Amino acid sequence: MRASRESESGSSDTEERSKGGVNAEVVNKEVINKEAVNRDSPRPNVVLVSLLLATLVAWSGLDAVSVAPNRIVPGQGHAAWDVAGWPGFLLSLVPMLAVLALAWRPDRRRLRWALGLAVAMLAALPAWLALASARLVDADLPQARMGVGAGVWVALFLLLLALIELRTRLALPRTLGWSLLLVPLASLAAWLTFGLAPLALRQEFLTRRDGFIAAIVEHLLLVGAAVGVSLVLGVLLALAMRRWARCRTLGFAVLNFLQTIPSLALFGLLLAPLAWLGAHVEWLAALGVSGIGAAPALLALVGYSLLPMVRNTFVALDEVDPGVIDAARGMGMSRGQVFRQVRLPLAAPVILEGIRITTVQAIGLTAVAALIGAGGLGTFIFQGLGQAAMDMVLLGALPILVMALIADALLGALTDLTRQGEAT
Amino acid sequence: MIELIGVSKRFGDTTAVDDISLRVERGELCVLVGTSGCGKSTTLRMINRLIEHSDGEIHIDGQQIRDFREETLRRRMGYAIQSTGLFPHWTVARNIGLVPRLLKWPPARIRKRVEELMAMLGLSMEEFAGKYPRQLSGGQAQRVGVARALAADPDILLMDEPFGALDPITRETLQHELRELQSRLQKTIVFVTHDMDEALRLADRLVVMDGGRIRQQGHPLELLREPADAFVESLLGGEDRGLKEAALLTVGERMMPLSPRLLPRERISRHATLREALSMMLWRHAERLAVVDDEDMPVGELSLRQLVGAKHHE
Ligand SMILES: Nc1ncnc2c1ncn2[C@@H]1O[C@H](COP(=O)(O)OP(=O)(O)OP(=O)(O)O)[C@@H](O)[C@H]1O
Ligand SMILES: [Mg+2]
Repeated sequence: MRASRESESGSSDTEERSKGGVNAEVVNKEVINKEAVNRDSPRPNVVLVSLLLATLVAWSGLDAVSVAPNRIVPGQGHAAWDVAGWPGFLLSLVPMLAVLALAWRPDRRRLRWALGLAVAMLAALPAWLALASARLVDADLPQARMGVGAGVWVALFLLLLALIELRTRLALPRTLGWSLLLVPLASLAAWLTFGLAPLALRQEFLTRRDGFIAAIVEHLLLVGAAVGVSLVLGVLLALAMRRWARCRTLGFAVLNFLQTIPSLALFGLLLAPLAWLGAHVEWLAALGVSGIGAAPALLALVGYSLLPMVRNTFVALDEVDPGVIDAARGMGMSRGQVFRQVRLPLAAPVILEGIRITTVQAIGLTAVAALIGAGGLGTFIFQGLGQAAMDMVLLGALPILVMALIADALLGALTDLTRQGEAT
Repeated sequence: MIELIGVSKRFGDTTAVDDISLRVERGELCVLVGTSGCGKSTTLRMINRLIEHSDGEIHIDGQQIRDFREETLRRRMGYAIQSTGLFPHWTVARNIGLVPRLLKWPPARIRKRVEELMAMLGLSMEEFAGKYPRQLSGGQAQRVGVARALAADPDILLMDEPFGALDPITRETLQHELRELQSRLQKTIVFVTHDMDEALRLADRLVVMDGGRIRQQGHPLELLREPADAFVESLLGGEDRGLKEAALLTVGERMMPLSPRLLPRERISRHATLREALSMMLWRHAERLAVVDDEDMPVGELSLRQLVGAKHHE
């Protein structure tokens, strides 16, 4: 998605030189994309066609749902035709085949239709699950649970990819692309409220509602603290490295080394010294420092976050065109003015990129930190793994995925904003 | 007025600039030429203290440059460089207004000044003021660079290959504009270039440098006619020196009054150079040209003999 966005703006770059201005930019993108689509129109859109073929295969070949009489017993898988009967199954194939047909001879209008269909299919997935729960789950068994099967997961994933491809082809703005997802999300929320009672994920959530909210908050706090601390430290370190060459070699050596230690080992390594500190230094103990818990987790997270943060900040500040800096000083800007008005704003996109990478990485790593009692969503994952309860694992993993995606999108959009002047 | 007295610059063991003395009067355009690495940029950058000189003294209007605060000194001088050094995150208008903003001019005055400069350099306000440097062509960017250097109306302009990397036509246009500006504004300009034709066309004072030293300085014609040594001679064009000199002299200076003879058909402006006249003769197979004024009225004539004989070494 990132790469395609960049190629997009790259191709429009030369055009914008001649016209410029915000309106011209939009117009140019339209024109270019129309051209691109027209050029493509006799040829199938290979990406979409393969995505949809794969969706068809997964939808028909893999289990749609699995149903178990209670939480302990392994579930019984059901194929898509069990969910809706053969006529219903065949009917469910129609929109996929339609998108396939539209993608075979794509033009702008057809792609818009395909986009509509893809959104509709995503929105229909919760309804499909509700149908399955109504038809396949024995209403007399209150303990019965229904798990989402591989077929539906794969279809969800592939359709999302198709959506991204369509957004890129149609050159829809990022925000519009994201808001398209609101339709399936609203549908999911509605079905969760009014139906889908046996859905295992929902039951796992309901039994742990308070713990779940607390875990999300813990997770976010840990990530926020780790990113915040490593941002401050990272910028200071990068500045020090720019000033002193010795600092540079040493700093990068240490940070690179830190990065090579597996995360679990690093948590383990911190256990002993921190436990000792917690036991012997009173004010640290008062702060909650001990061998396990949030303190070592935070330390390790900062350790990992520091490298991408420092590297990006350093590179960003260092690679600002020397001609521009020379001119800035030659015009009579003071050192502070050069840094604040020229170097920093020009470095900002790359620094933000570092924050983005660090944040996404920290969101994932924090899951591992649950192993040393730091709390967070990882708790569910490891508990679920221990109890072989896949739905509990999902209850932990899905929000992590969503958080990572949201962080990625938000920070990506912010990067684009800071880039505006130069990139267009 | 800029004066360098016995100035040297050493970077560790290498001596980039070696004991040079140079005086650039007010209203004078001084061009530094020489092979790559001979210390031209270093000399220029010592004047605005982007590089501190190791030895000697540099004076601006009689005052040592070390007596000024660095920033104050630089804000008094315009500085334009080859890469233009425009700030990519600022619009053209903001780029041009940089030094006035640093000098804390009121916003209205800055706006007026920016408009004035853009008009002066042929950049239309509506089209370019809101553009970012990346949306400009090379020539437009160089113009903005020059406009920015002129923004606070400094007495002194330092220009390091400001027209480098431009096509010959745009380059010539900008050279012409610079000469025009200079005749109107009477700045003190130090200009570095690699292009000998540019140097000869622009210079009031030409300074030939080699290995950090000044080999010869003076009016371009002086250097063409009496090069101090073989290096200066070859740098100034060797065998081509005749043509280079012809490019500095105008038809008007050497033409004869109209004679009773039939007026030749080929016409040339009195402001054209002798080089252009010679070229026209070669091209049209003509030995005589009619010289015309701005209204295309004949005012004299020029023969091949006059053109050649008009030179000093007859
Ligand atoms: N910051 C520096 N540190 C060390 N040596 C330098 C530095 N700046 C310039 N030099 C050296 O000083 C000499 C003169 O450099 P300068 O940039 O003045 O040359 P120049 O005449 O402008 O060349 P060009 O025409 O290629 O721009 C060169 O040998 C260069 O290597
Ligand atoms: Mg140079």
